[in-house]
Amino acid sequence: MANQKPKPPNRLLPWLDVLAITAWGILLLYYTFSAKIYILIHEHYIPLVVISAIAILAVGFLKGRQILRRRRGDNLATVQHLMIFPPGWGGALLLTTAILGFIISPQPFSSQKALGSGVNEIFVSSRVTRVKPQEFRRASVSPEKRSLVDWVRTLNVYPEPDSYTGQKVNVQGFTIYPTELGQEYFLLARFVVTCCAADAYPIGLPVKLKENFEKFPPDTWLQVEGQMVTETIAGKRQLTIAADSLKKISQPKNPYSY
Amino acid sequence: MNQLNNGFTIFLSLLVEAMPFLLLGVLFSSLLLFFVDERKLVKVMPRNPLLGALFGSMMGVFFPVCECGNVPVARRFLTQGVPTSVAVGFLLAAPTINPIVIWSTWAAFGRDQPEIVVLRVVFSLLIATIVGFVFSFQKDLTPIVQPAIARYLKFNPAKGEAKGRSFRAGNTLLKSGTYFLGGKAGSSQIIDANAMQETMTASVSNKPLADKLGLLLENIVYELRELGAVMILGSAIAAAVQVLAPRDWIISLGSGPVSSITVMLVLAAVVSICSTVDSFFALSFASTFTSGSLLAFLVFGPMIDIKGVGLMLSIFKPKAIFYLFALAGLITFLLTLFLNLHVI
Repeated sequence: MANQKPKPPNRLLPWLDVLAITAWGILLLYYTFSAKIYILIHEHYIPLVVISAIAILAVGFLKGRQILRRRRGDNLATVQHLMIFPPGWGGALLLTTAILGFIISPQPFSSQKALGSGVNEIFVSSRVTRVKPQEFRRASVSPEKRSLVDWVRTLNVYPEPDSYTGQKVNVQGFTIYPTELGQEYFLLARFVVTCCAADAYPIGLPVKLKENFEKFPPDTWLQVEGQMVTETIAGKRQLTIAADSLKKISQPKNPYSY
Repeated sequence: MNQLNNGFTIFLSLLVEAMPFLLLGVLFSSLLLFFVDERKLVKVMPRNPLLGALFGSMMGVFFPVCECGNVPVARRFLTQGVPTSVAVGFLLAAPTINPIVIWSTWAAFGRDQPEIVVLRVVFSLLIATIVGFVFSFQKDLTPIVQPAIARYLKFNPAKGEAKGRSFRAGNTLLKSGTYFLGGKAGSSQIIDANAMQETMTASVSNKPLADKLGLLLENIVYELRELGAVMILGSAIAAAVQVLAPRDWIISLGSGPVSSITVMLVLAAVVSICSTVDSFFALSFASTFTSGSLLAFLVFGPMIDIKGVGLMLSIFKPKAIFYLFALAGLITFLLTLFLNLHVI
């Protein structure tokens, strides 16, 4: 034949797409069923991810079937799309990322990241702008039922620490040891997520330790019971949990608060 | 090691969160490509330049296309005799003013900063309408559009009758409904009129459904792959900036009312992440950058893209593209600066 057949790699490239797309569908399902998805996104969006994963798998399956059928018919051979990447790169990038996603397990953020954003920011934080009025009602439940985030939100609305003195506290979080805090305190913190891990920001309250208390390493998850007091920390009056008991707990399935 | 882990987690979280929206955007734009006959819309388009520009800007509601889909559609509009104001308005606003993009923006910002969602829509409409209106003063399109389109318009006076059979039988140089441009990125002026593209013209309706579905699937896979790959690169950049860039540096850049907008406008041009998922990219800067600058990214990003330039060269001459971008960029800058300085 005088005319050369169009490049042979075309035969394999469509399979790369099928592979890449299918891999993403499986990866999304794998994250969902291994509960790793809680580390990545707001739980609100998990159903959306599951549906997408199924749809993506369907696209991969249909595409595979199409290629198999076309090989017999071989009718639509030369389609030139506008490519952003050279042929094969897009598929390869998708596939590589999916494989990395299988190999490297996403980790919840640690105290180090929280410290990176500055302790002051954690105190002031749960930035006033981020507090939503609709959350106040939830925060107005009885003190010992408030979560750490509820406390921080309540504090944003009525910032006077003295108004909480003596109220019972029972909250969960992980430990952070900022240098500014001094020996007898640590910071009990959680990351708050509004959409996905990319916008996670730390919130926290200082916890005052009694002398005989065991010191836990950073990033230990604790259930802290005690009552509220006002302490002066780093020159500022600060609502502080005077701990009566510290209980080590395992990291919750969903490490973030919303 | 810890940094790397955090970076990877952010990277993955952006991807996992964005994937459903990307898929939805791709599905929708592909479906519309094959099952909506936009000629009916063309008929009702207003001829008044200002109204036309506004109409064009809002047409994205019916054509939920992202940056890659809007250029071919705008191009076809032009060749069908749609006024420039409508086509330009559509070109600039369609990637933003569409249900999926608004939803994904809501997913990212709706809880914390709902005003960003609203202002993104308002600013995009405003800018697209203004630029469309400005372009409507250019009555003779020859100096700004590519010769192929100019020639086509010359021989097919744009009076809206260029539709139906007469149109299809017309100039073979330019198939009005060509969605896929031939050649490689950047040299896309020449339309590759092959058999498949024929079927993708507005006359697609006379193809059997099975063939249509086959093409639909092809298009879905193609967009998913190309846009997905861009999304991966974009997420990698966002994650890397969050983890690697010195915090003080980012904070000082991000808190300045002017510097933050400038940085985000540059990012908008460089990171050609798809508009259905770009709000997640912006979200990773939400804690350090001013709202105005995030908005600048969200408004200007869908209008300008490195990859978009290659596509746009299939319609306009470089000079016109420069004016289009410069005008859109400047108005974005002004509006978002007003926002940062609390003027509005």
